[in-house]
Amino acid sequence: MILLRHALRTVVREPRRTVATIVGSALAAALLVAVLAFGLASGTTATRRALADVPVDAQAILAPGADAAAVTQRIAADPAVVSSLAFDLVHADHATLTGAAGATETSGTVIVGTDASYGSTTGLFPVSAGAPKPGEALVSRDLATNLGAVPGDTIRFQLAGGGTADLRVSGVVDITGADLLLGPTDPAHRAAGANPPTNVAVTDLATIRAIESKVPAGTLATDPASSAGGATGGAAAVVASEPAVRRELQLRYDHNQLPGDPTAAAKWLDDVRRRIERDLSGQATIVDDAQATLEPVASDLAWGQVLFIFLALPGVALALVLSRFAAESEAEATRRHAALLRARGATDRQLATVFVAAAGIAAAIGVILGAVAGTLLAVVLVGPNLAAAGGPTADVGLVLGCAIVVIVLAVAVSATSLRSQLRDEVATGRRAIERLRPPRWQRAYLDVLALIGAVVAFVALGGTGVHPVLNAEGNPTISLSLAAFVAPFLLWIGGTLLLLRLVTILTARQGLSGALQRSMGVAGELAGRNLAARSRSTARVVVLLALAVSFATSVLIFDATYRQQQRVDASLTLGADLRATPTIQADASATASVAGPGVTAATPFADRVVYVGSEAQDLLAIDPTTLPTATYLSDGFFKGSTASAAMAALASQPDAILVSSETATDYSIVPGDHLKIRVPDRSGKLGDVTFTMAGVALEFPTAPKDAFLVANLSYVAQQTGDGRITAILARTSGDAGAAAAVGQRLGGDWSVTDIGTTNARLANAVTSVDLGGLVAIDLAFAVAIGSVGITLYLLAGLSERRLELATLVAIGAEARQIRATIAAEVAAVGTTGLLSGLLTGGLVGVTLLVILAGVFDPPAEVPVVPGLAVLVLVAAVGAGAVVAMLIAVRYAARIDVLGALRER
Amino acid sequence: MNEAVVCVGLTRRFASRRLEPVTAVDGVDLIVRPGEFVAIQGPSGSGKTTLLALLAGIDQPDAGVVRVLGHDLARLSPAERAHLRRSSVGVVFQLFGLLASLSAGDNVALPLDLAGRDRVESRERAQDTLAAVGLGHVMTARIDELSAGERQRVGVARALVGEPQVVFADEPAGRLDEDNAEQVIGLLARACREREASLVLVTHDPDTARLADRCLGMIDGRVSEAVHA
Repeated sequence: MILLRHALRTVVREPRRTVATIVGSALAAALLVAVLAFGLASGTTATRRALADVPVDAQAILAPGADAAAVTQRIAADPAVVSSLAFDLVHADHATLTGAAGATETSGTVIVGTDASYGSTTGLFPVSAGAPKPGEALVSRDLATNLGAVPGDTIRFQLAGGGTADLRVSGVVDITGADLLLGPTDPAHRAAGANPPTNVAVTDLATIRAIESKVPAGTLATDPASSAGGATGGAAAVVASEPAVRRELQLRYDHNQLPGDPTAAAKWLDDVRRRIERDLSGQATIVDDAQATLEPVASDLAWGQVLFIFLALPGVALALVLSRFAAESEAEATRRHAALLRARGATDRQLATVFVAAAGIAAAIGVILGAVAGTLLAVVLVGPNLAAAGGPTADVGLVLGCAIVVIVLAVAVSATSLRSQLRDEVATGRRAIERLRPPRWQRAYLDVLALIGAVVAFVALGGTGVHPVLNAEGNPTISLSLAAFVAPFLLWIGGTLLLLRLVTILTARQGLSGALQRSMGVAGELAGRNLAARSRSTARVVVLLALAVSFATSVLIFDATYRQQQRVDASLTLGADLRATPTIQADASATASVAGPGVTAATPFADRVVYVGSEAQDLLAIDPTTLPTATYLSDGFFKGSTASAAMAALASQPDAILVSSETATDYSIVPGDHLKIRVPDRSGKLGDVTFTMAGVALEFPTAPKDAFLVANLSYVAQQTGDGRITAILARTSGDAGAAAAVGQRLGGDWSVTDIGTTNARLANAVTSVDLGGLVAIDLAFAVAIGSVGITLYLLAGLSERRLELATLVAIGAEARQIRATIAAEVAAVGTTGLLSGLLTGGLVGVTLLVILAGVFDPPAEVPVVPGLAVLVLVAAVGAGAVVAMLIAVRYAARIDVLGALRER
Repeated sequence: MNEAVVCVGLTRRFASRRLEPVTAVDGVDLIVRPGEFVAIQGPSGSGKTTLLALLAGIDQPDAGVVRVLGHDLARLSPAERAHLRRSSVGVVFQLFGLLASLSAGDNVALPLDLAGRDRVESRERAQDTLAAVGLGHVMTARIDELSAGERQRVGVARALVGEPQVVFADEPAGRLDEDNAEQVIGLLARACREREASLVLVTHDPDTARLADRCLGMIDGRVSEAVHA
């Protein structure tokens, strides 16, 4: 009890030491809590964004003969369900349009029936031309294009089972959400990744019910791709085992009830599904589209959170190092206090207990304040998402665990310097110049060993092609991602220690004071001599600052590259900054209409579904001379070649074709081999076209993942007599209004999408988690840690040198000369720390990018250095150093000269 | 008006939150003539160091006037007072007041460096002054390589290097053994005499005080008339 009282008294009687320890532990705790909160909140972001792109949350597939009214009533009564809409689908073997020029036919067709409010309720199937009319049909762009149908024409659908249905065309509709709504509903077929039909007719419920009655019960849809000589247009086939008639209710859940955490959200969805299915007793099966979407999000998020913590961990370590500075800044007071207690009979053990307990009390106060500050910061930055994720109290155990770890580490760090202070006598410790034996790690060359370890880990994990974050199924895994962090971690440790060794050597040499003397006169010389006399402390603060800057720089580089790759990802999916899609037949000549303000380049583009053997693939027909200027092509897209070489190969040889890696492997073809591919002509009939293999494309705009082929548009048009394009791709000058302007120039028969919209739609991907909040948190803490570190270093130095400063004043030093000395110290420490930090931060950032290349699709070719952000960082650190200098100058000005001279 | 140091009614009080206010220097009148060696002797806590700090312009009085070489210190700015100390005043400290990070020579040259003198010239002056106090061989030595006596002689050299007209010495032998104390005080007195500089030395040691031209007693902040001359 007495010792505790002494500890409390120490906390009060050594306010500077206490405040410094509190600041160090508070910064560590605040950073940790803020990052953990960011991790929690990012779960909400990922969940929300993932679900935002799902057209419906669930599909209740009615069993044959089910009582639709009863099923609808039960589903509507569930508290989780906001709306349920009837949606019927009938597969047709093919569709035919007979006109004056003859008949055109297309296969792989579906007829969809919805009620009148479907479009306005769900936002799906927007009408782009004409209007819905009872008993008539809106047709998809592909169906209209493939048949040459216009409003007023009548299309005959050949139904499975032999019946027919005639529907008059009342307009054109954009088919959105086709993957889920029109594709297969059973998990096995979904997993196979079958393409949904694109030849679609949308009619009303009464009409579709009449059509359904013409299809015999139990009839299955047929696969047109497997039927010899079958014509096809637009898209690949429906899987064969799908029922020809499907009746379903499409459900929308109350998202406000959804937990933010994707795992908890998936469980909530599963509970809802089980509850409804149980009550329906086999009358309907729930296909949980939302839950299927969330599955990869949970694992993405798990390693993403590991990444967030790894990016923030150096900051936590640095904040804790401040606790050591705190201990050193008040070494004099501690020695005096210890001497006093020792004189009163305190043993070494009791002294240690008192001071460690005092450090613990201060650290605990700091952790509490830091946790509150970190929570407030998180609330400001990611408040709403954090609340949805369960708030900062989501995992009380985790928060408490972090708090205890920070307190223990802060005390341990403080205790290491306390030990030496308590050992020293007051008189000997007072002005001892640091000429100590090098620390153990220096003698053991731990820095060099760690750097060698980093290189070994880098080669073992990065250099051998091991994908650090994706498993065999293409899903991210935590165990591999943790292993991927070994190299940057060792690089960080090794680099830190090596920097410490180098700066210690540099500052201990006379050259530094000589250089400062030449540039700043006597003030510079005094500063240089002082830095040398305190070479170990100087090295520590330089390294602290360097690491803070390095931490911030590496996060900035990572974030900038991350953002660039987000854009590349979106660009890859969309094809370019902007994509204009015709709802009418258009050829390459329409490209000229896109040119104008806001557009820097445009290129025509056609996507044909072709067959390589029996395998359907996308043939991307392009103009290789204009495509590189209108889209973003990376050298990484092409195996064994570059973007410019691949485009040059296409441009120089009309029948050249680039194939996917799988196609090259499956068909054992190499450049120069001829390849016969079945390509549809204008009527949709497949015919053989011979191409010459010119290379392998791993990725390509508009086709980031699927199997695809790339060929010359002019050659495809010449061989098939079909010069129609499916899109115009354009690069914009960044003008937000470019899409609207292009839409105006092209007219109402085109729909225009820009990269901003695509970016938002891709937001459920790993790379779409916004790191902005995390970067802001990390930068703020890096600057704070650097500034507090310099301040503590300066104050500790001034505290140790009170007598020297008083002497300087007594022998005639002016205040400006004292200020200049402090400024010279700050300049030397700040410049060395800043430059070292920028250098090591760049190295760590690059290493992170190389190690985590798998995060990006496609991988970044070169890291992006955000010049403006780095300048802001340098300015912020500079401002922090100036604040530290002003605090030190104020402290020096307030030194009691007479009092210091009288000290014995 | 050609006295080296004049003070009239000099008073300095220290307030404390816990203790009663203390009057460290209480209405002191003093005149030191050019070239005169004045010793102020008194027990510990009598106010000697405070008086010396007031005379050197290091501390400011609550009342009274201090004139050094004709300059009223109260009328000078802090920078002007610093300039006066650099150019015309030398100070010797009981705790040597040497900067551990500088060599002995650099410590001696420090007042010249602060005055902006040429570095080469100031090093030559420092070397000469060190030689004058018998330490010509320690120019590049580190302070912690010197004995206590040597350190104080370096302190004396630093006080003399600027050719001061007044030297204030605060218990310069307080940390030295008898032999070293005698050497340092003798050296200081001789050097001041050679340079015709006034020397104001405070000490608690009567033997040291006896070496002065004039010795004043100081008790409880008040200066008494000559103890012995």
